[in-house]
Amino acid sequence: MSGHDSKYFSTTKKGEIPELKEELNSQYKDKRKDAVKKVIAAMTVGKDVSSLFTDVVNCMQTENLELKKLVYLYLINYAKSQPDLAILAVNTFVKDSQDPNPLIRALAVRTMGCIRVDKITEYLCDPLQRCLKDDDPYVRKTAAICVAKLYDINAELVEDRGFLESLKDLISDNNPMVVANAVAALAEIQENSNRPIFEITSHTLSKLLTALNECTEWGQVFILDALSKYKAADAREAENIVERVTPRLQHANCAVVLSAVKMILQQMELITSTDVVRNLCKKMAPPLVTLLSAEPEIQYVALRNINLIVQRRPTILAHEIKVFFCKYNDPIYVKMEKLEIMIKLASDRNIDQVLLEFKEYATEVDVDFVRKAVRAIGRCAIKLERAAERCITVLLELIKIKVNYVVQEAIIVIKDIFRRYPNTYESIIATLCESLDTLDEPEAKASMIWIIGEYAERIDNADELLESFLESFPEEPAHVQLQLLTATVKLFLKKPTEGPQQMIQVVLNNATVETDNPDLRDRAYIYWRLLSTDPEAAKDVVLAEKPVISDDSNLLDPSLLDELLANIATLSSVYHKPPEAFVTRVKTTTQKTEDEDYGSETGNSESPAHIADSAASPPTSSGAPYAAARQAAPAPASPAHAAAAPVPDLLGDLIGMENSAIVPVDQPASPAGPPLPVVLPASTGQGLQISAQLTRREGQIFYSLLFENNTQSPLDGFMIQFNKNTFGLAAAGPLQVPQVQPGTSAGTLLPMVTFQNMSQGPPSSLLQVAVKNNQQPVWYFNDKISLHVFFTEDGRMERANFLETWRSLPDSNEITRDFPGIVVSNVEATLDRLAASNMFFIAKRKHANQDVFYFSVKIPRGIPFLIELTTVVNNPGVKIAIKTPSPETAPLFFEAMETLLKD
Amino acid sequence: MGILFTKMFASLFGNKEARILVLGLDNAGKTTILYRLQMGEVVSTIPTIGFNVETVQYNNIKFQVWDLGGQTSIRPYWRCYFPNTQAIIYVVDSSDTDRLVIAKDEFHAILEEEELKGAVVLIFANKQDLPGALDDAAITEALELHKIKNRQWAIFKTSAIKGEGLFEGLDWLSNTLKSGGG
Repeated sequence: MSGHDSKYFSTTKKGEIPELKEELNSQYKDKRKDAVKKVIAAMTVGKDVSSLFTDVVNCMQTENLELKKLVYLYLINYAKSQPDLAILAVNTFVKDSQDPNPLIRALAVRTMGCIRVDKITEYLCDPLQRCLKDDDPYVRKTAAICVAKLYDINAELVEDRGFLESLKDLISDNNPMVVANAVAALAEIQENSNRPIFEITSHTLSKLLTALNECTEWGQVFILDALSKYKAADAREAENIVERVTPRLQHANCAVVLSAVKMILQQMELITSTDVVRNLCKKMAPPLVTLLSAEPEIQYVALRNINLIVQRRPTILAHEIKVFFCKYNDPIYVKMEKLEIMIKLASDRNIDQVLLEFKEYATEVDVDFVRKAVRAIGRCAIKLERAAERCITVLLELIKIKVNYVVQEAIIVIKDIFRRYPNTYESIIATLCESLDTLDEPEAKASMIWIIGEYAERIDNADELLESFLESFPEEPAHVQLQLLTATVKLFLKKPTEGPQQMIQVVLNNATVETDNPDLRDRAYIYWRLLSTDPEAAKDVVLAEKPVISDDSNLLDPSLLDELLANIATLSSVYHKPPEAFVTRVKTTTQKTEDEDYGSETGNSESPAHIADSAASPPTSSGAPYAAARQAAPAPASPAHAAAAPVPDLLGDLIGMENSAIVPVDQPASPAGPPLPVVLPASTGQGLQISAQLTRREGQIFYSLLFENNTQSPLDGFMIQFNKNTFGLAAAGPLQVPQVQPGTSAGTLLPMVTFQNMSQGPPSSLLQVAVKNNQQPVWYFNDKISLHVFFTEDGRMERANFLETWRSLPDSNEITRDFPGIVVSNVEATLDRLAASNMFFIAKRKHANQDVFYFSVKIPRGIPFLIELTTVVNNPGVKIAIKTPSPETAPLFFEAMETLLKD
Repeated sequence: MGILFTKMFASLFGNKEARILVLGLDNAGKTTILYRLQMGEVVSTIPTIGFNVETVQYNNIKFQVWDLGGQTSIRPYWRCYFPNTQAIIYVVDSSDTDRLVIAKDEFHAILEEEELKGAVVLIFANKQDLPGALDDAAITEALELHKIKNRQWAIFKTSAIKGEGLFEGLDWLSNTLKSGGG
């Protein structure tokens, strides 16, 4: 290696970045501008030019609008990656927001909103404040949107600086575009906030209606969307609003039309005069029809929305069914939607025309479309009684074409028609039977088998027909097997002759011994048992009269329909799903994680003194010997518990909740400590989230509940009801929850009594709860009862007593279970924790390398559990043997043990 | 060679553009001085979070004057502006005696910078209009200006509000730069 090789490390070439840097610092304006353009070009193709940040920002103070815009563009892109240096741009923004040129002022404020750097947002508030009050409407309208952007970065700042008030002032602005943008910003802020921010008053209402006529089309959409959320004071006001808005229906922009339709539909709910409603319906038809002459994509969106509209107001388009007839060149997704609407609009008046169309569609080439058309005929038959016969005629004609999938689809719908009109059209069964061999789809097969079974007495060769299916019984899909089983039983009950008798043997054998499908097996066993004990009862059960069906396929639940109608012209109304089903709000999710963090922080804090307290507390439940208490008499203890609840001075003990959060009992309404498990997520409860858990304090069982209101309105009038359960748990008194404001939560401790509404059957940990309030439907959820909340304070047993009880119980009452995953590492702590849960340590002995512990536990009615716990300390694996006079509760006991030991 | 040629050419026509940084603690009066020089009037200012840049024409010299924010949080970024600088105007609030020590430390830290080795230094003992303002001799003492070696420097008593002393300082600067001091 010679000394000359060092030359390879130095080069005269500088590379692109240093060259650009030099040019950016050039004293010539043109050169600087060119350099910035080069930087932007590099940025656009994905090169990292963030190292030139200060050099580019230094070009920011220029008279040249083009150069300024380029630098702003650069800033928006790189401010996030250079958050510290971004501060260098602040002064220029401040200056630009005071520039005499309104375009520059607006540009500055718009760019400021796009720079999402926490450190500099604070400095940008003053310029924003100024721009919100700017003389130029262009600047004001840009500033309005900037407030919404700032709210997304730092909501608190926006509220502290009074920007929300400034925005609300802008609603009264004399420029309609400013009003529209203020409305848009407020609506967006409202969506990200849990408390009411933007509410239209009668004053703002008139401002909005005035601005509506003058602003741009997208501005109109913003205003209409906001208006559709306005609850008019009375029918007259609603009429007035609607009258002002109807001209929007003629707008060329489909978004404006749909938003206007949404708004009118919402206000129509309040209008009582039938004349007015009829008139409005008449007015809404032409614009909706016009939407269907747009491009297919827009047609699709329109059709999905119309689908919702006709479910609420069928009259609007009752006379327009012809526009929903499919054109040969419609894309398939449009055709399918049109069919759906045709079914909804079909009536006695137009059914002939509709049937002609359907029949036509049923001969097209697209298989899915043909199937849907055939099904549509069936649905019309079910929907329109007077047209049913005509529909069936058409179906029969179609069957005669003998196109395989048409026949199968027809059989499926005819089964439904038979259900809808029993004993009316059975004459066609013969025709159906002709096509028996062609059936190869499970659904069609299952339908045909159902028909044969149901009408076995009218089909002469029903047994032969069924027999032909039975040959392939083991290979059939589950629901065909189920139908075959039922149909054979029906056949046997109707024609108890030799042939069917043999068949039923084969089927029952196949469906019980040969199958792995529990549903099929259970059903077969039930039939078998029925037939073998009481054939008459079997007849009553199997051949019972069926309720008449109606066509409710594709009909939405009314509350969902309401919500979707309120979201017309959004993705929600196209998906037919509520917005929360596919959009996650950033704000609410971050809030939740914070809560969780909080929970884990306050995790483990043992407090031995406290445990001693609860252990030393006087026994409150019945001290009667367990032998006596085993009798069915209800324990007198439970009501006493409720009465004894407000014991002063003693500290609360949240058993089974990991930490011993200290809650004074005289404030039972504020449960603190770790978060309760969520039993009703907000997504299920339309924004109401309920967390709950059973807990024991001072010998009293409480149901600790937390209600979180994520809806837009206050909730009150909470009531609670418990279904029958193994332990007869019920509320000791009414649920006391104050009105819960949007975005807030309320907790309560509900005292519980036991043995109130007991369910029969084997012990189960299931606790079914129903909660209602004045604003929402009743919510049902399932919770789990952990047995350890029932462990009573008087469960301690003397050694002698323990031994005697152990011996006196027969060995059949001893149940053992292994918990391979559980490790006992700290014996002291474990014993303390168990004692805190009223599981009392009695003795310990060594057996080889194993430690054996003995405990006693008592549950209400004086039922004792004697526990032998075997483990090797610090090694996984715990074996628990229990002896109890009530062995049927053992599974629940083991569940509770697992919870206690895992902590 | 090329650069030398341009320089000669520029000085012939008298439109030499000099890059000048105005530095100093926050609230020393840098922005006010900048606009007093540029527009000849007193503008109302707010703390500069970032920078201002203006071109000032004086004595046939074009000064490209960079006024950088003096907040503690921004001082670390001064260094981004050091390259190619011919002169520094260091502004001191003569009435803010409590912070003269900090002003001195910052000042000497700047002088240490390799990139500013060739820059001439002009000190403005500003806010002479305020009662209790120290005079130029006291500021010289406080900033330990006598320690400056191998560099041309000067101090002027100024009042940006009244417009006193500023152009005297600029005269010195333009003469120094013309004579090749930069």
